[in-house]
Amino acid sequence: MLAVKNLTKSFNSPSGKVTALSNVTLSVKTGEFASIIGKSGSGKSTLLSMLGALDVPTSGSIDVDDVDIAKLSAHKQTAYRANQIGFVFQHYNLIPNLSALQNVMLALEFGGTPARIRKVRAEQLLNDVGIDTDQQMRKPSRLSGGQQQRVAIARALANHPAIILADEPTGNLDSETGQKIFDLLHDLSRSENTTIIAVTHDMDIAGKTDKTFILKDGKITTK
Amino acid sequence: MNVVTRGIKNALRSPIRSGAIVLMLAISIGLVLAMLVARSSVESKISSVEATSGTLVTVSPAGVSGFAGGGNPLTSTQVAQIAATPHVASIVPSLSDQLGTSDTNLVSSLQLGSFGARQQRFDSTSTTTGSGSSTVTARPAPTPRISVTGTTDPNSISPTGGTLTISSGSTIDGSSSSDVALVGTSLATKNNLKVGSTFTAYGQTTTVSGIYSSGNTFLDSGIIMPLKTVQTLTTQAGAVSSVKATVDSSNNVNSTVSALKTSLGTAADITSEAEQAAASVSSLQSISSLALAGVIGATIAGAIIVLLAMIMVVRERRREIGVIKAIGGTNGKVIAQFMTEALTLTVIGAVIGLVLGVLVSGPMTTSLVQSSSSSTTSTTTPGTRGGGGGGFGGGLNQIGSNLTQVSAAVTPQTFLIAGGLTLLIAIIGSAVPAWFIARVRPAEVLRTE
Repeated sequence: MLAVKNLTKSFNSPSGKVTALSNVTLSVKTGEFASIIGKSGSGKSTLLSMLGALDVPTSGSIDVDDVDIAKLSAHKQTAYRANQIGFVFQHYNLIPNLSALQNVMLALEFGGTPARIRKVRAEQLLNDVGIDTDQQMRKPSRLSGGQQQRVAIARALANHPAIILADEPTGNLDSETGQKIFDLLHDLSRSENTTIIAVTHDMDIAGKTDKTFILKDGKITTK
Repeated sequence: MNVVTRGIKNALRSPIRSGAIVLMLAISIGLVLAMLVARSSVESKISSVEATSGTLVTVSPAGVSGFAGGGNPLTSTQVAQIAATPHVASIVPSLSDQLGTSDTNLVSSLQLGSFGARQQRFDSTSTTTGSGSSTVTARPAPTPRISVTGTTDPNSISPTGGTLTISSGSTIDGSSSSDVALVGTSLATKNNLKVGSTFTAYGQTTTVSGIYSSGNTFLDSGIIMPLKTVQTLTTQAGAVSSVKATVDSSNNVNSTVSALKTSLGTAADITSEAEQAAASVSSLQSISSLALAGVIGATIAGAIIVLLAMIMVVRERRREIGVIKAIGGTNGKVIAQFMTEALTLTVIGAVIGLVLGVLVSGPMTTSLVQSSSSSTTSTTTPGTRGGGGGGFGGGLNQIGSNLTQVSAAVTPQTFLIAGGLTLLIAIIGSAVPAWFIARVRPAEVLRTE
C-alpha cells in the first residue's frame, strides 16, 4: 500500500518561490497499475522522484507499507531505492560500458544478492523480459530501444521491488513496441503482484491502467 | 563484477582519452623519478666530497701569498703552537724564497714574458743620468728568478696532493740540514744538471739529489731543499712562509681552524680544504634544491592532470552517477569506483613513467651537473702561479673534476618514494572529483535530455 498525504514540494528559483507539487494526496494498493498523466511542467517527474526517494518533499508524507520514506536518513533512502523500488526511465539509462547482463547484475549487487547467484538470477530476469542469451552479452548501444527498455525492466525487477516507478517508459518507442512494453509491465503487475506507477503522455496506455491520476499545476485529480 | 573491476574497466573506456591522460601522467611521473634520482645522486656526491674533502689546513703568514705581499714569516714558536693544537696530526712547514742572478749560477728556465716582466718592474734600482731639466731613468732588463722551497716533506709540493714524481735520482730528507736539492725537470734541462751535479745557491755549493717532474711549468722550474737548509742559507732561522697541518679527522677540521684562528690571531691566514670543498659543492647543492623543486613541481602537475581528467570524467558521467545512485548505489561505492579508475590511470602512467624515468635519469643528472659545473672550471696559464702559494690547487682541482662525475643511481628507496608520490597524485587527483560525485543528486536522472 502506497499512501501519499499532503505532499508539497517547492523550490527557490531566481524568479521567486516555485511550488511544483501542492498538497498532493493519493493512494495506490499493492499490485495496482496506476498512471499519472499531465502536461510538461505539471510536476509529474517531481512526484515520481519523491515516490522513489530520489528527492525529499518540503512537507507531507509518503507511506510505503506504513513506513514514511520522506523521513528516512539518506543512507536508509539508498537502501530503500535498492530494495523496494525499481526504476524504468524514458531514456532507459543503462550503463553504456556494461553488457545487458552486467547492468542487471549491478542492481543485484546493490540489492545485496550474493555474487555467486547474481549471474543466474540476471539471466533468468532477462529471459523473462524476452532478451535472449546472445543479446544479454551485448552492450546497450548494440540493442534496439525496445530491447534496452526490456533490459531496464529486468534491472528494475532484480530485487523484487514493492513498487516500480516508470517515467515515460514508452516515450522513446514506436507505438507497437510501446504497446509491447506496456503489456510486459502490465503482466508483471499481475504475476508478481508489484505496484506499478507510470508517468505517461499516452492516453491509450493511461486508459488501460487500474487507476489514473491527472496532475495539473502541481495539484492532483483522480479520474 | 565488483566496484574495482568496474573502475578498471571504466579507465579503459575511452582508449584515446585514457591514452592521452596516461601519457601526460607518465611524463610527470618520469620527471618525478628522474628528479629524485638526480637529487639523491647529487646528495650522495655532496656527502662523499665533504667526507673525503681532506683534512688539510694551510696556515700562511698574514699578508703573504707566496712571493707577493708583505709581513713577517711565521716564527718557530708559532709553528710549534700549530703543531701543538688539538687534533693536528702532523704539520709540514715550508719556506719559499727566490734566487736572483747574484745568488746562484743557475739560469732560470722560465721565460719572463710580459707577465713576469711586469711583476718585476719595481725590483731594479734605477740609475739617473743627465742633469738639469732632462732626467733619464734607465733600468736594467729584469731577469727571471728561480723559486726555492724549503720543506720538511718534498711531497707536499706535489700539485696533485700525492707523491712527487722523481724522474731520476732520489728524494731528499726534508728534516736534514745538508746542502742537497731536488731540481725541477725544466730547470735541470736548461742548466744541464744531472743527479750528482752541483750548483751554487746563496754562495753555497749544493748537490742535486734528484730531478722531479710535476707537470706544472712553474714548479718544474724550481728547487726543493730541506727546510732547515733554506732557513740557514737565507739567515731566517725558524722562519716559515707556509704550514700545512693535517687534522686527524674531517669532522674536526672546522674546530681546528677556529682554534688556530684564535691562537694565531691576526698573524696568520688560515684556509682549509673543507671550507673550499664546501664552496665547491655549493653548485651541487643548488642542483639538489633545483631537483627537489622539480620533484614537487612534477608531483603537483601529475596531481592536476589526474584531477582535471577526473573532474571531466565525473561531469561527463553525471547522469550515469545519478542512475547508479537511483538504483541503490551508495556514495561510497560510486566514489570507490571512480577512485579505482583514477588509480588505474595513475598506475599505468606510473609504470610507463618509471621506465621513462629510469631511461632519462642518467642523462638528465649528467647534463644538470655538467651545465652547472662548467662555469666553475678554471685554467691557469703555464708558468704562472699566484705566487706559488702551495699544494692546495692540486687537491681542489681533483674535487672539481670529481664533481662532474656524479653517477645517477636508481635505488629501491628512490623507487619507493616515487611510488609514494604516485599514490599521492592519485589520492589528491581523485579527492575533489569524489566531492563532486557525492553532490550529484540521484533525482537528476529524471531530467529529460
